[in-house]
Amino acid sequence: MTHPSTAPSEPGGRAPVVQVRAVTVAFGGLLALRGIDLAIARGERLAVIGPNGAGKSTLFNVIAGDVTPTSGSVVIKGVECVHRPSRYRPRLGVARTYQKARALAGLTVRENIYLALAGLRGRHRALWRSAADRRMSDEAAEVARRVWLAEQLDTTAGELAHGQQRQLELGMAIATGPDVLLLDEPASGLSRGERERLVELLESFGEELNLLLVEHDMDVAFRIAQRVVVMADGEQITAGTPAQVRADPHVHRIYLGTEAPA
Amino acid sequence: MTARDLLTRNNVLGTALVAVLLLLPNLATAYFVNFVMTQTLILGLAAATVVFLARYGGMTSLAQFLLFGIAGFMFGNAAQETGARGLNLGWHPWAAVAFALVVTAAAAFVLGALASRTTGLYFLMLTMVYAVIGYYVFAQIVEISGPGGLTSIQRPDLLGPPVRLYYAGLGLSVLAYLGFRAVGRTGFGLTLQGVRDDPVRMASLGYNVPLHRTLAFTLAGFVAGAGGLLNVWWNGQIDPASIAIGPTLILLIIAVIGGISSFEGAWLGAFVYVLVFTYLRDLPLIDRIGITEARFNTVIGVIVLLIMMLSPEGLTGIARRLRPALRPRTRTGPDPAAGQAPATRTTEKELGVTRS
Repeated sequence: MTHPSTAPSEPGGRAPVVQVRAVTVAFGGLLALRGIDLAIARGERLAVIGPNGAGKSTLFNVIAGDVTPTSGSVVIKGVECVHRPSRYRPRLGVARTYQKARALAGLTVRENIYLALAGLRGRHRALWRSAADRRMSDEAAEVARRVWLAEQLDTTAGELAHGQQRQLELGMAIATGPDVLLLDEPASGLSRGERERLVELLESFGEELNLLLVEHDMDVAFRIAQRVVVMADGEQITAGTPAQVRADPHVHRIYLGTEAPA
Repeated sequence: MTARDLLTRNNVLGTALVAVLLLLPNLATAYFVNFVMTQTLILGLAAATVVFLARYGGMTSLAQFLLFGIAGFMFGNAAQETGARGLNLGWHPWAAVAFALVVTAAAAFVLGALASRTTGLYFLMLTMVYAVIGYYVFAQIVEISGPGGLTSIQRPDLLGPPVRLYYAGLGLSVLAYLGFRAVGRTGFGLTLQGVRDDPVRMASLGYNVPLHRTLAFTLAGFVAGAGGLLNVWWNGQIDPASIAIGPTLILLIIAVIGGISSFEGAWLGAFVYVLVFTYLRDLPLIDRIGITEARFNTVIGVIVLLIMMLSPEGLTGIARRLRPALRPRTRTGPDPAAGQAPATRTTEKELGVTRS
């Protein structure tokens, strides 16, 4: 059963913030995505789940601009983005994290977040430090506090523990106050306690943030998302609320290899 | 930053060193000052641009010596009034200086833009290709290089006496050293370091990575050009053979001897290089063991080999390692990851920040 979600009014009658239409990605002979459609409605927290090799990350990277699809279109806030490089996304208010934390290893936590701010505000070609730099540096400290890294402000990112690197990754993504946040498996490799903090943080953002979450961990995805899209073999299998998806026997068969609990 | 913060051991040592260098013409022979030290400062300045690109940008460039040479050729063509060689434009010397620097920076911008999508070994190879092409351009277009080079190039009157050239070298070196270090803390420098660490991440943060690399390469080219002007004034001549592939490697060798991730190392490496080439022949019995002038490159090669085996961070790396042994009170943590991420651990110290 597929749910083509091409209608811009779906769901809730509001124009989607991100609209993916008929996107196909071929890596050589391998079809990673087979004409998939996806829409993130305004104020929606959407999770995409699926087994390994389902095409989740490819879809994510198409939206983030790191993979150019073979065919199809990606419209973000009314702007066709398929052929625009990833560096164009922040200007549209889109920020992302990486599955494998990609903080800038040689720079401190403060400098990492500073760069997340400077990328959008254009202080990055200045050959001297100004009051604006100092303000952004203070802002970076504030963001670090929000992701529980206040103590590590002057630690280089390469020296952080794995979980802290994920926190920094998230800090860099939320620093500019994006309204579309793309999270690529934010819970992977985190301890139970770190997962709790992650969920707590994501829940604290409220309505204004549009969230796309690609997650292998169903538990985290179901707790954060309002709507869940299930993928397998580059296609959408089903979509619905967490409760609907949890109860869907089809999902259980494909995703877990078992029948739904009675 | 208070005066007390500025009073660190490194700053005091640095100031003392500059003071000694300022007084050097009164302390040392004219030969040592005008030959050994002036050459050291010129080569150090050029090698510092290699360090700048390698340390902040992760780009190991072999094109710096070409840019060094372009500045020299452009000055010679623009400033010379008469003579059998070159364009003999006969401009005012300072107009020629401006012309040389603008052309060098423009060349660096174009070459940098072409190389801006490559990194690592590919960048090294591409900049080596630039050096080779540059050599042939100057060797074959004799209108701008004169058959056999431009000779009798006069320096501006302001820099007439040789000792003034020494002071010019010292002044530009101090400026470049402080400037390059300060740039590391600015938006430009931090962005460049971010590009070094993860260009894909930087792109997703909204940065134009190739453009930023290009601008860094242009800045380095401009400084290398300033070094090239000093060089042509010091030599009084320039010929295509002086920017051939052999001399091109000298800067990289100097940077490796000093430590490719340290700005101090650029001048330290240049000093060692010039010392070997100047004084090796004077060592007693040196020719008896087969080390004649023709084999000085072998000696330099052995030094580079030893340094790369003993300390990938060059002489400054060795100095850094010896420091805790000399001062038992300092924290003796593990040695900074040798040769891995350049100078990442020193950032904290340089920023003068304290851990909370």
